[in-house]
Amino acid sequence: MKFERNTLLVLGLIALAFPLLVGNQYLLHIGIMVLLYAVLATSLNLIVGYVGEFSLGHTAFLGLGAYTAALLSLRLGLPAWATIPLAGVVSALFGVVIGAITLRLRGPYFVIITLAFAEVLRLIANNWVDFTNGPMGLSGVAQPALLADASPLMAKRFYFYLALGLTAVSLYLAYRFVYSNNGRAAVTVRENRFVAQSVGIRPFVYAMRAFVLGAFLAGLAGGFYAHYITFVGANVFGFAFMVSMIIMVLIGGKGTLIGPLLGALLVTLLTEYLRELQELRLSLFGLIVMAVVLFLPNGLMGFLNHRRERGDRAAPDDSATRVQGGPA
Amino acid sequence: MDMLLQFVANGLVSGAFYALSALGLTLIFGLMRVVNFAHGELYMLGGVMGWLATTVLGLNFFAGLALTLAVMGACGWLVDRFLIERVRDQGEEPSILLTIGLSIFLTNTALLLVGTAPLTIEGPLPNKPVFLGPVVLTELRVFAVAACAVLILAAHLVIRHTRLGRAMRATFQDPMAARLAGINTARVYASTFALGTMLAASAGMLLGSIYSTHVSAGGLVSLKAFVVVILGGMGSFAGAIVGGLILGVAEALWGGYISTGTVDIIGFIIVILTLIFKPYGLFSTQVERA
Repeated sequence: MKFERNTLLVLGLIALAFPLLVGNQYLLHIGIMVLLYAVLATSLNLIVGYVGEFSLGHTAFLGLGAYTAALLSLRLGLPAWATIPLAGVVSALFGVVIGAITLRLRGPYFVIITLAFAEVLRLIANNWVDFTNGPMGLSGVAQPALLADASPLMAKRFYFYLALGLTAVSLYLAYRFVYSNNGRAAVTVRENRFVAQSVGIRPFVYAMRAFVLGAFLAGLAGGFYAHYITFVGANVFGFAFMVSMIIMVLIGGKGTLIGPLLGALLVTLLTEYLRELQELRLSLFGLIVMAVVLFLPNGLMGFLNHRRERGDRAAPDDSATRVQGGPA
Repeated sequence: MDMLLQFVANGLVSGAFYALSALGLTLIFGLMRVVNFAHGELYMLGGVMGWLATTVLGLNFFAGLALTLAVMGACGWLVDRFLIERVRDQGEEPSILLTIGLSIFLTNTALLLVGTAPLTIEGPLPNKPVFLGPVVLTELRVFAVAACAVLILAAHLVIRHTRLGRAMRATFQDPMAARLAGINTARVYASTFALGTMLAASAGMLLGSIYSTHVSAGGLVSLKAFVVVILGGMGSFAGAIVGGLILGVAEALWGGYISTGTVDIIGFIIVILTLIFKPYGLFSTQVERA
């Protein structure tokens, strides 16, 4: 807990200084994408790591957030400070409905029904031309008024800090959730559903809270995406985003707060590095997923935690009394 | 009224393919408890192999089909021995992730090697129309449906009446007892995976001869196979067949009367409704989820 909090604070400070030290728009753009993916991976991790069910439909909430922000901005002319939180709220409301249906199911059934919801939303976005503009997508989402006469570099810096703010909010909420009774109950359910039930934890209630929080955060990220990219098409519901999110959570280590951040950083940089090789990149991602499952089932953070705990045990200290935030 | 019959006939034709492709999935799930998310990619590879065999190697359709079945069976065997076996008995999640990784790898590697162009497989019969009362089909479609039926029947006979099939059913009932009785369960699992792969690949090749196939078809096929399997009940042979036909007809009617753009949505609506109201499917005999 202390280790996670301190690491997060240090990472936050580094991120705060980053745009001041870097004057390159491209690097800033990569930084913004890392932060966006950090929010998304954190939100998926709440479901994968703390509900213990695997969602393939998390893009539903990213897409809902992006479309909500884009439609509110284009049709009603609302500014970004209103649309991004509203995007989160709309996603969370859908999270309540979708969660109420999907969380009754487990294992493969949960995977498939979440995927089905994301696909239904993608098909609706693609076909309901009057409302969503269909395959043409919604373009020209307004940038915040503040940026009307800012230089491109300043605009990037502004977006970087906005994304950093969102990441901080997400991590704060996730941190408070994970280290609350809610989070501990969710971990108990994940580790052993029947023991959890026998001590009076209702799995559905806690799973639902994690699910709705995850939906809210993904919606925020979607809203930010809409304003930053200024274009929203049905591809936000697509599988490509889903694959990136899964890999980030898996590589970093599900069930830890730092893991998804690490994953977001590594995968975004790797994606940029392999940008020229579109399909080869995804092939590699497929291989990485398989390798992680086979050789590193708890991700990098799981590996590091394991090492750290072994070290602690070698040098006797108060590891027995240290509060464990759930095995990674 | 004529149109209705025509829609139903078209629906039954595509339903036969859904049934064939879902059969492999339900077999692998029923026996191995592995939810194979790479199933659609195996189907796609079947189509690509069929195209390679008939167009590039110049074999005739039946020799191409035999070659495809042999190669894909070997692939399925290897996938099981080298990947699935490592996460066996570790619950569902690792195998789900592993097959998702496999599907991402297969799709994109195939895209890299073959490209996005549609691949047409030369069918064994011409596309001449056949009139059955008010319904028009093509000879090729009638042939393909018959081939589907033959393959389904063959799979059924293998499972019911061969030594391997008996070993499969024994392993399905109780893997431990099967091992105690001297069954090499590792080989049974690999054979099952190979059989499931062959069923998927044959569906891919047959459908590729009617329409065309392309390498990114796998995702949608996986999803439809899941729709069928969930509708019919995971692990149920009859359920896969009935579920496939229901999905085919429902899609044809939706496409005919409501809108062709949103045909794919019907499958997802079926999944959502089935999972809410009858989560074990129409034909499942087991109740296993807590």
